[in-house]
Amino acid sequence: MFYRLSGVYHSSLISDSRMFKVPADRNLAVFLLLIGLAAPFILPSLYLNSYILPWLIWTAAALGLNLVTGWAGQLHLGYAAVMAVGAYSAIHAVRLGVPWEIALIIGGLAASVIGSLFAFAALRVKGLYLALTTLAMQFVMDWVLTHSPTISGGSHASLQAPTLALLGQQITSDAGYYYVALGWCVLVTIFMLNLKRTGLGRALVAVREKDFAAAILGVNSFYYKILAFAASSFIAGVSGALLVATFYFLAAPEQFSVNVSIQVLAMVIVGGLGSIIGSYFGVALILLVPGLVNGLVVTASEELGMQVNVETLAHIPNAVYGALIVIILMIEPLGLGKLYGNIRDYLMTWPFDQLRK
Amino acid sequence: MTTLSNKPILECTGIERRFGGIVAVTGVDLVIQRGEIFGLVGPNGSGKTTLTNAITGFYPPNEGTVRLAGKNITGTAPHKVAKLGVARTFQNLALFNGMSVLDNILLGRHIHMHPGVFRTAFYWWAARPEEVENRKIVEEVIEFLQLESIRYELVDGLPIGLKKRVELARALVAEPQMLILDEPMAGMNQEEKGYMSRFILDARDERGVSVLLIEHHMDVIIGICDRVLALNYGEMIASGIPKDVVKDPRVIEAYIGGSHG
Repeated sequence: MFYRLSGVYHSSLISDSRMFKVPADRNLAVFLLLIGLAAPFILPSLYLNSYILPWLIWTAAALGLNLVTGWAGQLHLGYAAVMAVGAYSAIHAVRLGVPWEIALIIGGLAASVIGSLFAFAALRVKGLYLALTTLAMQFVMDWVLTHSPTISGGSHASLQAPTLALLGQQITSDAGYYYVALGWCVLVTIFMLNLKRTGLGRALVAVREKDFAAAILGVNSFYYKILAFAASSFIAGVSGALLVATFYFLAAPEQFSVNVSIQVLAMVIVGGLGSIIGSYFGVALILLVPGLVNGLVVTASEELGMQVNVETLAHIPNAVYGALIVIILMIEPLGLGKLYGNIRDYLMTWPFDQLRK
Repeated sequence: MTTLSNKPILECTGIERRFGGIVAVTGVDLVIQRGEIFGLVGPNGSGKTTLTNAITGFYPPNEGTVRLAGKNITGTAPHKVAKLGVARTFQNLALFNGMSVLDNILLGRHIHMHPGVFRTAFYWWAARPEEVENRKIVEEVIEFLQLESIRYELVDGLPIGLKKRVELARALVAEPQMLILDEPMAGMNQEEKGYMSRFILDARDERGVSVLLIEHHMDVIIGICDRVLALNYGEMIASGIPKDVVKDPRVIEAYIGGSHG
């Protein structure tokens, strides 16, 4: 209905390679972007900065992991460690007097270098073995962070992030932080949308699907695996740095521990491997739903006048949220992105379902 | 038959490939002239696919040399062999599932493109001109192989005849000098075989590729091949004009087991 394809004719190769080929998709994206820009004027800053901002930054991070896991097909269980490299590098760079703009790039590049080391493991091993190798590297990074006072300040210390300043402007307002997060998330999203229509994206999918067939087409799978790790690590590094600069304000090793790695991977898998909109949904589910369920349970128990003890109250949201993940993956193993795609495909021909191929 | 110059496009001499104690291919000599359609026949397990894998670098030969247009490419990695102008299709189809027909064929243009992170980030300025240029060549081949109507469909659900055609398209857009087709007509009916044979002939005549064709359908071999080589147990048993080779007693014996009756 809204997504109608009739009347959409591409008459040149340029218009056929548009980011959104269906006008409705483009309109929707523009509409969401406008809402995103207007959000500070609509939402109270509590919601804006404790829910929407982390959602945007984690989405950027999850898209980075999606690049290496969803597109290039390499399981990565050490993603948080790469984010930590970016965060600490950027903070130390700023502390040494480097402007934030350059420090963010330094953070991204440092993460890229360390992340590419992960890639060299990927050249040798595949699948579960790669997962284990990256997991081991996560533990190594954890250990390095907690045991080297020069980087993290020691095992129980945290590092104060200097005030964010971009383009000569000190950023201290809630709206300012939010716009930085929004800007980064939009940039990463545009990159990923471009990935879908360029040779790089196709080569990565080729490596994921059948590396021998990729080879006979001239795709050097070693090179593209390293490239995928490097690009994804850059996104991870900048996201990690921005997370500390706009949300945590302090960097501590446990913010980037192994369970965070697993959480990001869960975001990507629940959202859907290789799906951009899916990453948005996946992050929302993993990050926001526990709090939402918690609020609902508390409100419900108050409304109904039930005496629920604190311990049960704490466990219900976790149980609901766990069940939700299982149910979603049972309904659609390809994740929330695919679920959205199904609805979109349905609406594309509704109410003339018989036209569907 | 088009220009059959004397300069061979592919020369294999004394190819031997062993897997542990098993000798899959031994002492195979093969010369393919430019513009030739060269058939490779033999019963199952006779070493046809191993020979093509030795040429394309998947299983480098233990002995012998492979020359492409005079250049020694023995043991070169597959992705480099592809860059030198060899394209192939696979016996058991090697299309990329989850991608459209168009994207699969565009991947065939990979060796002529320069994908990278920065080009992707600055798509409008850095990647689009190249994408559009290559898309034009892809569209020519799509038209040539009559794949227009299924361009945007995922390859996963296509019938096997079309999948084989998409794979041929993907190999052709690379504009190879040498095209290796590993059983492109396996599982096809007579009509589809006819189409495929016509496409192969047209590819040679219009696009000037030389073809190494592995096939079990003798009617196709006799119909379109200029010369043919027969293998059995990894050894050459006959070579020459298709008509003569299929009459060769050793070939008949290899295929139907003894020509005594």
